[in-house]
Amino acid sequence: MELSLENTLPEAIRALWTYRPRYANVNGWRMHYIDEGEGDPVVLLHGNPTWGLLYREMVSLLVRSGRRVVVPDMIGFGLSEKPTREHAHSLDGHAANLTALMRQLDLTRIMLVCHDWGGPTGLSFAMANPARVRALTVMSTWAWPLPPAEFHTRIFPWRMMHAPLIGPYLLGKHRALAGRGVYLSVVDREKFGRSAQAVYEATLPDPASRLLTWVWPRWIPLDENARALERFQWLERELSQCKLPTLIIWGREDEVFDAATFSRRFKKILPHAEGPFLVTGRHFLQEDSGPEIADLIRHFLNRLDQGERSQ
Amino acid sequence: MTGVIVVEKPDLRGKRLSFALAEDRVAHYPEFRDFFVRAFDLDRKGLTEPGFVQAPSGLGYALIFLGRSGEPFPSGVEVHAIVDALEPVAEETLDRDLYAILRWMIAGVGAPWTTEDFDRTGRLYRIPAAPPA
Repeated sequence: MELSLENTLPEAIRALWTYRPRYANVNGWRMHYIDEGEGDPVVLLHGNPTWGLLYREMVSLLVRSGRRVVVPDMIGFGLSEKPTREHAHSLDGHAANLTALMRQLDLTRIMLVCHDWGGPTGLSFAMANPARVRALTVMSTWAWPLPPAEFHTRIFPWRMMHAPLIGPYLLGKHRALAGRGVYLSVVDREKFGRSAQAVYEATLPDPASRLLTWVWPRWIPLDENARALERFQWLERELSQCKLPTLIIWGREDEVFDAATFSRRFKKILPHAEGPFLVTGRHFLQEDSGPEIADLIRHFLNRLDQGERSQ
Repeated sequence: MTGVIVVEKPDLRGKRLSFALAEDRVAHYPEFRDFFVRAFDLDRKGLTEPGFVQAPSGLGYALIFLGRSGEPFPSGVEVHAIVDALEPVAEETLDRDLYAILRWMIAGVGAPWTTEDFDRTGRLYRIPAAPPA
């Protein structure tokens, strides 16, 4: 057998993730992504601590509906390169990583689907490169500096999890977020534990590989001294001027970015957006409602196509 | 009580420093850096020597503080177990000691950080060293 990155992936990963792996050098890093189907592109962006696997049920459904589907793994997660120094990561750097991939693939008319940190990074790309983007979907994310989610103000468990030295211990040595953390943030935990949890854990196998799981939380603005405050201020300002067709989808049971607060704030910033459409799901709503979310996106894009044809 | 005490520099002959944990941003919450400065007199000692603690197992640990241009000292810290030079570490002992050292840190940082919240977080994520409720 010829040795390749594809057939050296652990069996458990290959069983769930059957797509052809592709790699690009972006902004100095090796990024894994998949690129399936033909048509206008749908780019699916994940957050912490997941990777493209989060969208495994959605990819084939969107491809069958006549879309090209591109799913990158953020540098530091999934099958992408995982830097071992905290200072390798920044919000702007991750947005630049995505920008590099979108330019290399020369994607235009993108439907950008943003979840968790895929929101701040993906929406920053969209606002800086509006000519490449056709529409947006936002799910369990945010795009403004303050106030933080109530969940993010609590010491137990969120601030404690990534506190100095405790983050490297709980999330690094003990994979608290990559394993049990995702488990606690889905609705059907039995199904998740049986079908996917081990695969998420297998892609972040060592403490050093899990660095970004405690680094990303430290970039969430909690007060006026936050590192990314100005970027989030810019993002909210740009979004409030944005006329891109937008779809808002939220997990009904989301305890991190609760629907009542966060989906409504997106609706206020983007009053032309459709939704919010509530589906079964905590923070990782794709694990519970992947096909339903794919359907919402598919119908939304079909309506956009019809609108363009009738013009 | 955390069972962790600050000690003088131990005799390191026949020993090695076994890397256990690293933190690049000890001031992510500034009160954590303030704690280490107080606990090890770092404003006076700076980089002259590591801080040393003894953990509940009796094993010694070196806390090596790191500086970074443009940031107050220390910017980071590494925790190393002091073990017999050619012997592997006892991983369960190391994990229990690390938990105790972090618990001691939280107690020293003080309110609003509490050892109760640390233990609750440890139990939520099923950390073996976390004490039962």
